Amino acid sequence: MDTRVKKKKMIISQETMDVDFVRKVEALSGTSVRSCFQCGKCSAGCPMATFMEHPPNRVVRLLQLGQWQRILAGRSIWYCASCETCSTRCPNKVYLASIMDALRKLSWDAEGASKESYVQLANKLFLQNIRTYGRQYEMRLAAVFNVKSGQFLKDLMLGPKLLAKGKLKMFHSKNKNLSEIEKIFTRIEEMRKKGEAL
Amino acid sequence: MSSEDSSLNYSYYPGCSLHASAGEYDLSTRELFKKLAIGLTEIPDWFCCGATPAHNVDELLSLSLCAKNLELADKIEGDVAVACAACFSRLKTTQHILAESDVKRKQVEKAIDAPLKLDGKVKHLLEILAKDLGLERLAAAVNKPLAGLKVACYYGCLLTRPTDVPNMDCVEAPTIMERVIEAVGAETVPWTHRLECCGANFTLSRPGVVIQLTNAILDSAKAAGADCIMVGCPLCHGNLDIRQKEIESVYKTTYNLPVFYLTQLVGLSVGLGADKLGLDAMIVNPTPLLKSKGLA
Repeated sequence: MDTRVKKKKMIISQETMDVDFVRKVEALSGTSVRSCFQCGKCSAGCPMATFMEHPPNRVVRLLQLGQWQRILAGRSIWYCASCETCSTRCPNKVYLASIMDALRKLSWDAEGASKESYVQLANKLFLQNIRTYGRQYEMRLAAVFNVKSGQFLKDLMLGPKLLAKGKLKMFHSKNKNLSEIEKIFTRIEEMRKKGEAL
Repeated sequence: MSSEDSSLNYSYYPGCSLHASAGEYDLSTRELFKKLAIGLTEIPDWFCCGATPAHNVDELLSLSLCAKNLELADKIEGDVAVACAACFSRLKTTQHILAESDVKRKQVEKAIDAPLKLDGKVKHLLEILAKDLGLERLAAAVNKPLAGLKVACYYGCLLTRPTDVPNMDCVEAPTIMERVIEAVGAETVPWTHRLECCGANFTLSRPGVVIQLTNAILDSAKAAGADCIMVGCPLCHGNLDIRQKEIESVYKTTYNLPVFYLTQLVGLSVGLGADKLGLDAMIVNPTPLLKSKGLA
């Protein structure tokens, strides 16, 4: 996807409205995008709004106006911390945190449309670890993240301190039922291939 | 289970952090429950719940991982006891979503290739202490009241939010942590940031975010006159404790606020020693504070 879409002038017409995309988001999130009336309570309480180019209420408005490419090309959805404050406070029961999940999934499927690569890399490594080991191993996760993101020195000073406190495990055991986790990943992939799940 | 029952038994889902960076939470939970005669059986071969990264990009995977864990838990008698606020939230969210959506329920059943078990109750340790055991029985077990210790109870995001999911206490003005810690003799402070987000798993990808958000939390606790912070989540703990020195140097200030897991403070009050509470694993050293209050 072309990330330059972010800077393009916004033109809204019958043709630019994309109800299909909104329906997909609604099916994935189980919540109504169209119920939002822009009161702004979500953005007022959002701890991450300061790091976003589009605050949460504007993400919903852009979605309503069919401007989803602008959202997927930006970093806002990747800076949502899933703290659920927005979902808790919405007077119209729009579960915005679930909408953010759906948008990230659709962006993820479009193979990293956004340039917010660090958060996406962390997510990817996290899921790979589950598939391979069944559980999360923080030391491995942090080490591989630093190598893959090219930040070899990130949090380096914390390492020895955490090791001394027994907070990083150098070795770990594998689950006995590891094959079951692989089956779950494979079955989901198959369901998606057959069009049985989004 | 009513508080009349003399024996309490749970299956235990520690979660990944408790086997590594939050080892002291695991240790203090097991020791405290042993002391309180509450049975805890770890679910054999539990999997990661998927945490935030799974539901962030693949809800079906997240639901399936949690459903699989609930199926494993079902083989053990008793409700599921969860220590980590994030695991607790994922397991409860899964039960909530799957009870509401037939489509998603069928997809998950297919993914885990087993019928769903959704009737088991998932409980955070706080609920077990406050409701199942009950505050009176908890108070009766205290032999070293935490008198004079001013505690800032930090809930973070997932112990209470969103509405209708954790259902442990009020979403915007919970008191369960305060009730538990006051029952064992501590004082609590009213403060502004007890429900604010610490930045959670951005600690890996965007630590700058965590430093900014967590600084506001530490600042608020200090301003309220707290001696220490109490948490029920390993992610909150990591950000508040492990990153505290770094935050102090970035903002050129001193907080020196020890960050305890709820099981460590409650464990202290029922007479468990530092070695059984993993106090030496804390980055911000709690010993000077505990000595000054006659608790070490």
